[in-house]
Amino acid sequence: MSKVIERPRYVCALGGAIGTIQSLPRAIPILHSSSGCGGNLAGALSGASGYNGGNYCGGQALPSSNVSERDIVFGGEGRLQEQIENTLKVMDGDLYFVVTGCMVEMIGDNVHAVTKRFKGEKLPVLAAETVSFKGNSYYGYELVLETLFRDFVEPAPVKDAGTVNLWGVVPMQDVFWKGNLGVLKSLLKKLGYETNTFFGQGETLENLKNSGKASLNIVVSDAYGIEAAKVFEEVHGVPYITVPLPIGDHGTSRFLRTVGKALGVDDIKVEKLIQEERKAYYPYLERLADVYNDLDFQRYATVVGDPNYTQAVTRFLSDDLGWLPELIVVTDILGEEQKERVLASFGEYESGLRPEIVFDEDASSVGGYINRHWPQNQGQKYYKGFAPGVIIGSVMERDTAEQFKVPLLPVTYPISNRVVLNRAYAGYSGGLTLAEDILSLVVAHR
Amino acid sequence: MDYIKHKVPPVREDRLMACQAYGGTCGDLSTESKKGCLYASKRTFSQTQGCQLNLSLGMISSMRDAVMVIHSPIGCGGNLIQNAGINKVFQKLRQESAVGLRWINTNLSEVDVISGGEAKLRQAVLKAEREFRPSAILVFNSCVPALIGDDIDGILDDLQKQVSAKIVPIHCEGFKTKIQATAYDSVYHGLIRNLVGEDNTATPAVIRTPEEEIEHQAKISKTVNLLNVGSMSRIDEEELVRLLKALDLNVRILPSYSHPDDFTYAHEAALNVSICATHDDYFVEHFKQMYGIPYVLRTIPIGIANTNKWLRDIASFFGIEEQTEKLIAAETAELKQAIEPFKAQFKGKTAFLTGGEVRILTTAELLHNLGFEILGLRGYHFDKYGEILLDEYLEDVPNSEKAIFNIGSGQVFEQANLLSKITPDLFVGHIGVNGSAAKQGYPIFPLFGQSDDYLGYKGVFEVATRVSRILKNASFNKNLGKNTRLPYRDSWYEQDPFTYIDDSASVAARIG
Repeated sequence: MSKVIERPRYVCALGGAIGTIQSLPRAIPILHSSSGCGGNLAGALSGASGYNGGNYCGGQALPSSNVSERDIVFGGEGRLQEQIENTLKVMDGDLYFVVTGCMVEMIGDNVHAVTKRFKGEKLPVLAAETVSFKGNSYYGYELVLETLFRDFVEPAPVKDAGTVNLWGVVPMQDVFWKGNLGVLKSLLKKLGYETNTFFGQGETLENLKNSGKASLNIVVSDAYGIEAAKVFEEVHGVPYITVPLPIGDHGTSRFLRTVGKALGVDDIKVEKLIQEERKAYYPYLERLADVYNDLDFQRYATVVGDPNYTQAVTRFLSDDLGWLPELIVVTDILGEEQKERVLASFGEYESGLRPEIVFDEDASSVGGYINRHWPQNQGQKYYKGFAPGVIIGSVMERDTAEQFKVPLLPVTYPISNRVVLNRAYAGYSGGLTLAEDILSLVVAHR
Repeated sequence: MDYIKHKVPPVREDRLMACQAYGGTCGDLSTESKKGCLYASKRTFSQTQGCQLNLSLGMISSMRDAVMVIHSPIGCGGNLIQNAGINKVFQKLRQESAVGLRWINTNLSEVDVISGGEAKLRQAVLKAEREFRPSAILVFNSCVPALIGDDIDGILDDLQKQVSAKIVPIHCEGFKTKIQATAYDSVYHGLIRNLVGEDNTATPAVIRTPEEEIEHQAKISKTVNLLNVGSMSRIDEEELVRLLKALDLNVRILPSYSHPDDFTYAHEAALNVSICATHDDYFVEHFKQMYGIPYVLRTIPIGIANTNKWLRDIASFFGIEEQTEKLIAAETAELKQAIEPFKAQFKGKTAFLTGGEVRILTTAELLHNLGFEILGLRGYHFDKYGEILLDEYLEDVPNSEKAIFNIGSGQVFEQANLLSKITPDLFVGHIGVNGSAAKQGYPIFPLFGQSDDYLGYKGVFEVATRVSRILKNASFNKNLGKNTRLPYRDSWYEQDPFTYIDDSASVAARIG
């Protein structure tokens, strides 16, 4: 049985699907759902993602069939057809994508039968049954990608050795998704590859449509987008690799080596790029030499959030910044196989650190783990707790941080106490940004 | 009104024949509404909106020392995520030790949908009790448990014997109504049934001497329940309390940001004072019927005219007209002087407002008073309470019959089309639609705000200063207007904004 969850950090498959579609250029999601679904999800998608806003077509602009009691009794397919027809007239997009909520699933509406009637029209109308009670936001992301790869990406028998696709950075759930995709794309460019990221700045639907000719799919995650990669391989014959999201020198150098190896890039070329990037990276970190050491800015850290970020932040803190990220709380709903893959991404630290990693979806559990990892003061005179400490997590950790009197940097979803525009934490440059943000926090708390 | 003995309240389509799709003028709406058939119209193209669950959480998730259980698949109540970690700030304005938002989602899976979600509901309620020991556990029921037929009330009755927190079931399935405001009825229904009144089996009845009893009754005779709303700020509350205290009344504030215990003695009051009929009619009618407590419901104290009306209604109940007229005279004289300089600035400017029927009509009156011409209004829905206010508005504001009136929650495509045609100098909007208008380049004044003052006399001055400030530099939105695009085809703006409102059913209802 699935667990009840205290303050979940994700919404349903429908929510994940909407977030994913509205992050594609000029794509219009069409909700076939109760009237409230879109409104209910808007705050999670737009407000909790560093005030991401609704993109081109989000929030209350989302077309929705708004089924109510009568449709539930008599079936909603007629209403859906009418809604699609009129959406094509009113909404200005290049791709229309029907996604479904719980109610229409339960009454058995066949959305595929309805959308099939729009086949051959000037504009593509896709559909995915984003059965909300079957999974969360990440599942919705997978379903949308799978549908795009099956029904939108065109067959390309001839592959282009110089092009790759990259995904696994989930729009909105990764609050810094757009910046991160841009950083990863430009790194691969330096390695000699054109990259389709589908959701990044400057991407087009044409790129997505032609992505079948890529020679490799790079899934930057040990948890998300892997099922979609399998579909891509099955339909278009493009192999995939999974690689952890990289932040800072150690993470990004590993990333480049893994990707370089999979693409058959000459080792010397990869190492040369890494050396060049380090030459730009360390002179900035060098500036911290005085303040870091004069003021003893090493900290213990608790890292809370999704698998992508927790492993990336932990490696950055451990190996780039020389901190002690000793406790990691992974808050996703993961299967046993996923958990194993995720666990494997925490390790082989240059620092030799062996953090404690726990899986727990409940927001208020975090304080309990901190107390267990750094035992509580029982009134003894000589006592060593979570100090000096920092929490890298989400806005949900605000109370916990207050309780332990440590600073909190929100980096993982949800984030509603920072505004995020084009900031990126991925790559070498992202590592510097993270160092700026973390150490600014420590400086401000002096 | 006597729905309290039922498990769930009726929807507003049935109870108030509330309308959710209309396009015309203020004058036409006033006429059409009286024929009583507007409720039957619908849209053939629609955009998303909120639901009962959404609005129920908006109304009562702020309750202190409570935990919410959302019995649903994982996405329902997702709107709360943006308030996690933020909401506490506003709770603390009412109680320093407040802890902020806490909720548990039962995360219904496919297995639960087939075999029933009752076990998960038990698990969630017991977890809420065990982890947080709250005073109340508010259980919100979404679409799915309603369709699979979970016996929510049965389980919660049984659980109540095992937990010390008061359990409040709030039935708010989204698909049952398109009028989101039905949520208010669902919440009040749950609160009245489960929080109001002392539980004499748990606490011994208070024994008073005859003298103490007289004193107690005297206090009750001067006590009013001031019914606040989720969109009200603490400063708004303070302004209304200031005015009521000036009339020597004791004030108890309910239901937003309240503590569960605040409801226990809510029936020990002389009068219920509402600021919004949309929000409170269900509550005050039931309180009148169950406890004989009369109420004031007509209008919201926004703007001079409506604040005066609101105070006079209260005064006439307590028979303190003379004292109240003195207060009104002193307050309005002072205020009129203070807002005089703004009138020159606003003269000839035009405005468009959108939001709840009660709030927009009164705010429009306020802006009219400051010198604005009101070009149009968009109400979330429209019912008999709106009808009364609209008629008062038509009387108070000359030449207002020709102004546009559009009804629909969300439906920003209609708004975008309308704005492209009537181009006001100022857009006043409810949360959720302002971003859309901003991308059309309009200066925007938010219709309400958790950090600002809108109500009472002070509110008039505050609104004037903020509108004045916003009109001084609208560059941000102007830039957006020039450099962004709303997701509609150019051809849409050439059409009638009400193209997709289908009122054939209402015409049929009228003939039938």
